Amino acid sequence: MRSKQTNLLQGTLDLLVLKALGPGELHGLGISRRIEQITKGTFLVKPGSLFPALHRMEEAGWLSSYWGESENNRRAKFYRLTRTGKGRLEEETKQWARVALAMTNALKAT
Amino acid sequence: MKAWSRIRSVLHNLFFKQQVEKQLDDEVRAYVDLVTDERIAAGMPATEARRTALVESGGVEQVKQAVRDHRAGARLELFWQDVRFALRQLWQNPGFTVSAIAALALGIGANTAIFSVVDTVLLKPLTYPNADRMVDFLAHTSGLANNLHSIPEFHFFQRQSNIFKEVVAYDNAGPGFNLTGGRPEQVHGIHVTGSYFHVYGAPVVLGRTFTPQEDSPHGGKVVVLSYGLWQRRFGGDPSVVGKSISLGNEPYTIVGVIGANFVADPQADLWLPFQFDPASNDGNIFFEATGLLQPGVTVAQANAELLAASPEYHREFPNTDWRPYFTVGPLRDSIIGDARNSLLMMLGAVALVLLISCANVANLLLVRATSRKREFAIRSALGAGRARIVRQLLTESVLLSLAGGILGMALGFVGVRALLAVSPAGLPRIGEDGSAIGLDWRVLGFTLAVSLLTGILFGLFPAFTASHTDLNSTLKESSNRSGTGFREGKARSLLVVSEVSLALVLLICAALLIRTFIALHEVGPGFDSHNILTMEMSLNGQRYQNTAGVAQLLRDGRNRLNALPGVELAAAGFWRPIDVEDGAAFKIIGRPVDKDCCGSQWMSITPGYLSLFRITVLRGRDFTENDTSDAPHVALINEALAREYWPNQDPIGQQIKDGDEGGIESIVGIVADFHDSGLGKPADPMIIVPIPQVIDGYNAAYANIQPLFWLVRTHGDPHRLVPAVTEQLRIASAGFPVGHIRTMDEVMGRSTARQSFNMLLLTIFGAVALLLAAIGIYGLMAYSVAQRTQEMGIRMALGADRDAIRKLVVWHGMRLALVGVVAGIVASFGLTRLLSAFLFGVKPWDPAVFVSAPLILTAIALVAVWLPAARASKVDPMQALRAE
Repeated sequence: MRSKQTNLLQGTLDLLVLKALGPGELHGLGISRRIEQITKGTFLVKPGSLFPALHRMEEAGWLSSYWGESENNRRAKFYRLTRTGKGRLEEETKQWARVALAMTNALKAT
Repeated sequence: MKAWSRIRSVLHNLFFKQQVEKQLDDEVRAYVDLVTDERIAAGMPATEARRTALVESGGVEQVKQAVRDHRAGARLELFWQDVRFALRQLWQNPGFTVSAIAALALGIGANTAIFSVVDTVLLKPLTYPNADRMVDFLAHTSGLANNLHSIPEFHFFQRQSNIFKEVVAYDNAGPGFNLTGGRPEQVHGIHVTGSYFHVYGAPVVLGRTFTPQEDSPHGGKVVVLSYGLWQRRFGGDPSVVGKSISLGNEPYTIVGVIGANFVADPQADLWLPFQFDPASNDGNIFFEATGLLQPGVTVAQANAELLAASPEYHREFPNTDWRPYFTVGPLRDSIIGDARNSLLMMLGAVALVLLISCANVANLLLVRATSRKREFAIRSALGAGRARIVRQLLTESVLLSLAGGILGMALGFVGVRALLAVSPAGLPRIGEDGSAIGLDWRVLGFTLAVSLLTGILFGLFPAFTASHTDLNSTLKESSNRSGTGFREGKARSLLVVSEVSLALVLLICAALLIRTFIALHEVGPGFDSHNILTMEMSLNGQRYQNTAGVAQLLRDGRNRLNALPGVELAAAGFWRPIDVEDGAAFKIIGRPVDKDCCGSQWMSITPGYLSLFRITVLRGRDFTENDTSDAPHVALINEALAREYWPNQDPIGQQIKDGDEGGIESIVGIVADFHDSGLGKPADPMIIVPIPQVIDGYNAAYANIQPLFWLVRTHGDPHRLVPAVTEQLRIASAGFPVGHIRTMDEVMGRSTARQSFNMLLLTIFGAVALLLAAIGIYGLMAYSVAQRTQEMGIRMALGADRDAIRKLVVWHGMRLALVGVVAGIVASFGLTRLLSAFLFGVKPWDPAVFVSAPLILTAIALVAVWLPAARASKVDPMQALRAE
């Protein structure tokens, strides 16, 4: 039961992270806050799932990172989309739209 | 693209580990700092802000661990970590590690040893190109199958060309050949029919094999050499073909040499053509036959057709209906023979030993897992999942079993060499003293598989038990030695009970085989085998194709030997009394001809043979030097024959006729029975005749198919006389060597080699099992006493005396042992029946064994329990109570 939920969340989380980084680079907390903001508080991403996802996506070549200064002058690791990452975002968005449409229709059907 | 990125990441994570870790730490800390900053900015007090930030993030270490778990190469890294940790753990507990590895090495070593023999004997395919289509022929007479055949039978097989592509014949042992000229040597020469080399796929490295002309009567004296003899005798001379070699003082032309890697069956130094007469109606059976089935023909089809064709053969050759029909069977089965059963029994026994080893190590691991409960609790508090802990423990147990496996393999190879050196047991296909048994990928694979399997088998159970802990209560416990939970206690008891019962099964089997061995050695063979030297001489050449020549050699040889100092008596015969393998039909003169009457064992000897072996002549007289070919022909019979054919009459003075061609002989005496076909079998009815009175044809046939045995009874150690005896025989035979020089005691040892081998092995296994079971019980009790020190202290403080404590512990341990013993007895009742084919003189449910083996085991268990019990009773109540 628990593993099912994780799987669902993982796919969603990847897309949300890609989306959050779409406009530009952000550090970990920034990504977390941005997701909270764009989902209107539906998803609160904890560091325990955020950081593994970030590292995984970076290793997959979707994200790149660098160390920079935060708005309040703290050293932080920033992430941005790579070319692959951008392509991935488009692809995943289309995929999601298809799935969402199918699901909505399926649930509407009587 | 993605794959490349992953590989780069794996390498990066692996090689820049410190840097990666440092950055991860910085990153997560920065996150917490950023959250803290936000909260302070929102007006929260600094300490409170930091605390809530930490709580919400879920802990810096846990986050880092989560990242590590998802990192590329995490599995590899985790595995490596597990291995390093496991090695450290094992290194820090040398007592545990050494005992576990030792137990495993014993179990795995024994399995490797037995498997390497099983592999060589049973599993390896024959090396011949069409081995799966090769069959050997059997003739069936009254329930017995015989693999020896006559020339007409061979030609009959050959004519069944729709089932057999080819049929070849070869000597089953051969008379041996005297390689004369230079230094005389007895070599193994095997007669074969021309296409033998083709059917067996023998590679020809020089010259050729026999032509059809050479394999026909008067085809000339030609030989094919084995690679070994070519190297040894001719130094690998490439121009050896066409040269001459002297066998029994007669020249033979070398036509070819066979390659080094040819596994000859039977073993041979050189081959000669049989040169069968196609028109022969000789009924003597003296060689084996192998057929190559036509492609697509099964053994069953071949048997059906062979059966259907038999009447035609019997019509053509009357008087052959004593061998009513023939069958074929896979050649491999006939080569392996009855070694299969005894090896499979060993494999079963040795698997039991391994199970006991596994149970023992599982027990050790359970103890350790219990004492490491706190460690596991702390690890899970630091973010280790249950699967992680199970994996860690499995890594440890597999490492243990692999170490045990490596050591076991070494042990197994030394063990099997030692064992085969002690007792080669007449196993087929193992080469000279087991040289064919070696390390190959199958044995390696087997040992590896067994090691991994045992590691998982004994590791899984403790691992799951250990990972199943209640974190909170374990950490809260003040004691660093948490008690044994009910579940583990039960599991450990179960392991000990099964160990004891398995050990008892092995012990009972071993005891039954020991009784068999003793029973065999208590059997009086019916003759005295001490201080007798036996040796074989091949009677090659025209001189020995008639009785006069053989008799002349025997007379001269015996005179020379009897004149030697240290020789008490010399004699000769075509068989030794322990392994007479010839039988003949005979008729009793004066009785109506009955087709089914009469058959017996048959052997020909010189005077002195019976007194040399101290075989008593019960009535009448022994042969004398006067029983020459001119004198009236005489025969001796044994008691068994007298009982069977003259139950209420005096056989002495009666006349019998040997076979179809033999002369008429008067019975002049009755000799005591002796075990003529092995100690495990009763004496067969037997006719004994003096060699000088045997017809030419019989003596010639003997000279052609097997060697003559010279026998010398000595004063003192027979070995001392070997040089003098061989020298005298060489002179008497004009240059023939003797081979297979053994004392009769050695021959007797060989005749029971298989039983000794079985007994020796099972006794070793039984002893190992007993030891392991004792260690198992001791371990359990010692541990439980250590666990219950406090309880003992309280009991004593409340007035229990030391005896009561001791009784408590002893009873606890013995209860387990006794349950195991009862289970073992029940299991043995079922299992020993499988052993009955290996037993002699003892029933599978022999009461003495079923009483004594459990008693021995119980006694050992008592000792194993007594030691911890004594320690428990010496507990100082004050110290025990204070210790906590």
